[in-house]
Amino acid sequence: MEKNNTVLDIQNLKLYFRTTRGTVQAVDGVDFKLKTNQAVVVVGESGCGKTSLSKAVLRLLPRNVEHYSGKVYLNDIETMSLDDEEYRKQIRWVKMSLVPQAAMNALNPVIRVGDQVAEPMSVHYGVKKEEALQQAIKMFQHVGVPVDFINRYPFELSGGMRQRVALAMALVTAPDLVILDEPTSALDVLTQANIFNLLKRIKSEMATSFVLITHDIATSSELADRVAVMYAGQIVEVADSSRFFKEPRHPYSAKLMASVPRLRGNDEPDFITGQPPSLIKPPTGCRFAARCPRRFERCSEEPPVTKIGDDVVKCWLYV
Amino acid sequence: METVSEPIVTSKPKVKKNSSSSAFQRIFRYSFVRLITLFVTVVIGVYLTIMIANMGGYVDTIMKAEIRERITISVANNQAYKNMPKDQLNELILERIQLEEKRMGLDRPLVIRSVNFLKNAMTLNLGRAVNMNSDAGSRQVRLIILERLPYTLLLMGTSNLILFFSAMFLALALSRNYGSIWDKIVIALTPTSSAPAWFYGIFFILIFAAVLRILPFGGVMDAPIPETFIARALSVLKHLILPASALIISTFFLSIYNWRTFFLINSSEDYVDTAKAKGLQGRDIERRYILRPTLPYIITNFALMLIGIWTGAIVTETVFQWPGLGRTIFKAIGLYDTPVIVGTTIIYAYLLAITVFLLDFVYALVDPRVKIGGGK
Repeated sequence: MEKNNTVLDIQNLKLYFRTTRGTVQAVDGVDFKLKTNQAVVVVGESGCGKTSLSKAVLRLLPRNVEHYSGKVYLNDIETMSLDDEEYRKQIRWVKMSLVPQAAMNALNPVIRVGDQVAEPMSVHYGVKKEEALQQAIKMFQHVGVPVDFINRYPFELSGGMRQRVALAMALVTAPDLVILDEPTSALDVLTQANIFNLLKRIKSEMATSFVLITHDIATSSELADRVAVMYAGQIVEVADSSRFFKEPRHPYSAKLMASVPRLRGNDEPDFITGQPPSLIKPPTGCRFAARCPRRFERCSEEPPVTKIGDDVVKCWLYV
Repeated sequence: METVSEPIVTSKPKVKKNSSSSAFQRIFRYSFVRLITLFVTVVIGVYLTIMIANMGGYVDTIMKAEIRERITISVANNQAYKNMPKDQLNELILERIQLEEKRMGLDRPLVIRSVNFLKNAMTLNLGRAVNMNSDAGSRQVRLIILERLPYTLLLMGTSNLILFFSAMFLALALSRNYGSIWDKIVIALTPTSSAPAWFYGIFFILIFAAVLRILPFGGVMDAPIPETFIARALSVLKHLILPASALIISTFFLSIYNWRTFFLINSSEDYVDTAKAKGLQGRDIERRYILRPTLPYIITNFALMLIGIWTGAIVTETVFQWPGLGRTIFKAIGLYDTPVIVGTTIIYAYLLAITVFLLDFVYALVDPRVKIGGGK
């Protein structure tokens, strides 16, 4: 694969947490690649490790980390070998930024939103405050927030506006990669559609790549170039979105797609029986086997990752 | 889409004329109501103190018995009355008792007098002590308190300020290194705060004064008072070390533990994570994303700590022979000297009320979410 248009390359990323009941294997050997100016949607049920994956990529680790390993290449820089200070200076918000989950709490309640958006400019580029604010104003216009809002505090904005501010903040330094962690989960449907239209426009205007973490397959389908399906801490399928939404390969993906209600057609939404496995002692073999309608004897062994063209699937059916 | 109410007090830009005058009205109305409620609270608090200090009237009974005994003995021991007939003598005693009771105001019931006490207290007319007097010999409660106040402020001020700031900043450092060996040591040492300050004081006296003989046993100054001001200051400082350390050490680890937990909770906010992802330096994250949003709480603690200095430390001052207010209050309680007890209480009550009143304005200044009188 051409190295230079790959913006993100994750190899065997692991993040385990220590809890009183045992080790939680939240991210367990994740691999995937993302090309420049593409958007990958990471979908999966709640608790499958999506947010932990974003935390692992961003190195925003909680205090109870037990194991953290793997390789993360960001534009050919291996970020895992950088120490914290190097990582802060070279990667954080310069190369990679975040639109956090629940922008409600992601903004400091006592600092004006303009200052918060401008802050990365002064931290990373040593820009004067007025200049940084000018850049913030530009970003506000870009994401559709009235310019005079820069002097407001987060509590004076609606949820949708706050989310836009968080987006402006993520884009202010023009990073190569923006990670969006369920950016619309707390918003109403209309506002969700607004935000996604905005994201689409930004993607076409700026050379930015997106990792969109969500459980909302329906809304994300418009933005996605690639889809990565996560199940029990692992990526079980990565595919082109056009193909994925038509015919997903992995049985879990198929079930997941079948659970999304459709506008046309007579198909009733389906559901998946059972519960996702605990991440404390995940089952050996295929982790979906217990709930899989198409399981057979080999599923008790760990399935290999099979490459089909650019796509990847982790299932014995495709070996 | 946006849910924005009228301009808040702290945001300066472009406040229109009519809205700024309505903001003024709102603040004025709020302040007025607030002052009235605080005043009523102080009145109730002080009245309760008066009733409690008089033990609901029982102190009158004690005082009357004391007067009767004192006058009976003094008349009986007086040689001039030796040959006076019994009836006449009793009459004389009764007369004198009545005179003395009238002088002390004991002839009227407490309920009536308490209103007078209350009025005097509220107007800071602290009056005269019953039994106590200042070292200079005055019976004025005001002078008794003023004489002792500097020593209490010195001791409590030094120890509380050191305690407050050192505990807060050490706790911030600990919350940064959660689970480190220092963190564990502090947690392990937290139970040391279950012993009171005077307990440590006794041990400190034993170790540093009795055994090592490097610091004085107690008091505020060396016996022949040094000539120069600097020598006097150094002498006071030397006497201050032990009581101040006893006060600090007795709550040191508990304070650190409290603040540490507080900072740990606040540093797990989403916006702190975002700040970290933004690549801010640890120092800036602490200043702008942990301390800044929690400033109202920190200021409240600081203000309450400052007025807490006023009451002094009763037993610790006694252990160290420190001539502070704590000992004065202790003595006043023992002597049923209600004017002194009420005097110290009323000043504390006023300080507390003023602080609470001012804190509301400080909150509005440091936290944009707070709007004075902005509630329903």
